[in-house]
Amino acid sequence: MKYYIKLGLILLAVCALATGILAYLNSVTAPMIAEVKRVEAENARKEVMPDATDFVKKTMVDSSEVDTDLYFIAVNEAKEPIGYILTVALNGYSGVVKTVVGLKNDFSINKIKVIEQTETPGLGAKASTPAFAEKFVGMTLPQLMVKKDGGDIISITGATITTRTVTNSINAGIKRLEEVLKVEVTNG
Amino acid sequence: MDNMKVLTNGFIKENPVFILVLGMCPTLAVTSSVVNSLGMGLSTTFVLICSNIIVAMIKGFTPAKIRIPVFIVVIATFVTIVDMTMGAFMPALHKSLGLFIPLIVVNCVILGRAEAFASKNNVLSSTLDGISMGLGFTLALSLIGAIREVLGAGTLLGFAVLPKAYIESPMLVAILAPGAFITVGFLMAIINMMKKEK
Repeated sequence: MKYYIKLGLILLAVCALATGILAYLNSVTAPMIAEVKRVEAENARKEVMPDATDFVKKTMVDSSEVDTDLYFIAVNEAKEPIGYILTVALNGYSGVVKTVVGLKNDFSINKIKVIEQTETPGLGAKASTPAFAEKFVGMTLPQLMVKKDGGDIISITGATITTRTVTNSINAGIKRLEEVLKVEVTNG
Repeated sequence: MDNMKVLTNGFIKENPVFILVLGMCPTLAVTSSVVNSLGMGLSTTFVLICSNIIVAMIKGFTPAKIRIPVFIVVIATFVTIVDMTMGAFMPALHKSLGLFIPLIVVNCVILGRAEAFASKNNVLSSTLDGISMGLGFTLALSLIGAIREVLGAGTLLGFAVLPKAYIESPMLVAILAPGAFITVGFLMAIINMMKKEK
């Protein structure tokens, strides 16, 4: 009996030591990781709205910090709003595909950038290339569907599912943003 | 045991991937490019060396009955250290390896060496064994990664090495999952053939 308690205590001591070391390291690296993520998100916003000088953070759902619930109003040097920035996500062929979308004031697309995807290399993964993002420039809501579904977006060869995922996620994102803005206008 | 022998064992004679056939999960999963292979190999090497040292140090007062859980706690601690520091200092690499880093915990190369070598040998030999096995693992992963990247994407370390026409429509299968099995199979066959000729 005593022997088994001893075993348990040794295991406890080992785990406690390991936890202590990791807790310390986490307190050092956690702010750095958060900073890296913040800079990354900031860069993505700048890329889809190169003309903007500042971004005003807004949320679609009360006090939610989930990035797909947030949107940003892009403003130029004169502090005039020149558009919106959305983060949209949807399940693709093999996992979530996340896209940052820059919209002009009339809700036409300024530029998009796929920031997260785990699609098939060589096929769906081409969604991260500038050539793919190019397809979306200037598109408006009624055009935002894959050609097969009656829209204007030409699919990547061999990766219709990925193209459709990105297109539909942007489509839904714009609709949601329009809803939110409508509510805000009527409220105030 | 002869330390020099321990240090060279992992490269060819007891190569963890081609001869011992340990750690196949990361080998097959991350070797789609040389950069990923190197990142995975070196992170594994770091964890392997550290866990070998600690295991060799604590082997005297770890009761045999709970040695496996203790080894796993040691390994998991170092893996988490790698995960957090990589996230903070090398975010790009962390993004492409992110999913596989926690899997180092269950990489049987590491537990295998802790159990088969470090728990029976002194700290110095265990360190050398960690270096040798780790670098042998990295070497094997990089070799597979290089073959798959050249065939599947036409690039090496991200630089184009084959004509543009090839890069536009490469042999995709090499970079997909089946390509990993095929490449590893061919490499093992070649190594077995060379061993037989000796």
